[in-house]
Amino acid sequence: MTYYHQELLRIKNHCYGNERQLRAVIKTRHFIDHNYDQAINLDLLSGTNHTSKYHLLRLFKRYYGQTPLQYLTGKRLIRARYLLKQGRTVTETCFEVGFESLASFSLLFRNRFGVNPAKFKKEQFSISMGSGVC
Amino acid sequence: MKIKIVSIPVQNQEKALKFYTEVLGFVKKVDIPVSGENRWLTVVSREEPDGPEILLEPAPIHFEPAQAYQQALFDAGIPCRQFSVDDLEEEYERLQALGVEFSVKPTEMGTVKIAVLNDTCGNHIQLVQML
Repeated sequence: MTYYHQELLRIKNHCYGNERQLRAVIKTRHFIDHNYDQAINLDLLSGTNHTSKYHLLRLFKRYYGQTPLQYLTGKRLIRARYLLKQGRTVTETCFEVGFESLASFSLLFRNRFGVNPAKFKKEQFSISMGSGVC
Repeated sequence: MKIKIVSIPVQNQEKALKFYTEVLGFVKKVDIPVSGENRWLTVVSREEPDGPEILLEPAPIHFEPAQAYQQALFDAGIPCRQFSVDDLEEEYERLQALGVEFSVKPTEMGTVKIAVLNDTCGNHIQLVQML
């Protein structure tokens, strides 16, 4: 067994001994993955796990390094980028991935990708036209 | 500032190209002769052809400290780089059938499952699936 393998097993025993907690956060992430386009909030997530919302918030952050809301937003934004590349309008994309406000969608998209959704879509169009010419 | 290229030190570029494309399944993106037998050689993920490129860099052949560092990491079983997969068990089975050696079989580590393989070019590579 390599040094790295030994260290993995040591860390696993030290940090990941609570199977019940792990199952709860993994279940929460899967729920978000399959329902990111729905109206998800902490109350809903904690209800599906029969646990307190603040406890779930702490656990999710501890195991995934971000809050459920941060994870949900990231998931929606990655999907939004894909849909814009596929040619969807900004408005269609915004609501299809679960955001309720165009303004907040635009702001979050810009913070994440450095460009607002309309400009991103325009750039994708230019790229596809450019590759078509060549 | 963007992350476009990440390098992996390899002892033989041609052998590395074969392993990273034919075994791991990446696709060659750039192949430019540099000097002698050295090439600027990159591969990308088939799923993300416009994503970051892996530069198969022949540093261990030309720079002794790079070789020593690579060897030390390898001897300790420490992965040089890691790649994400959707289904680690499936990938493990596929690669094992192709004769790939694993120093760590699929193992759950909290919210991820990981495995470590030998790239036959002087490195261990970690595969990760988020659970």
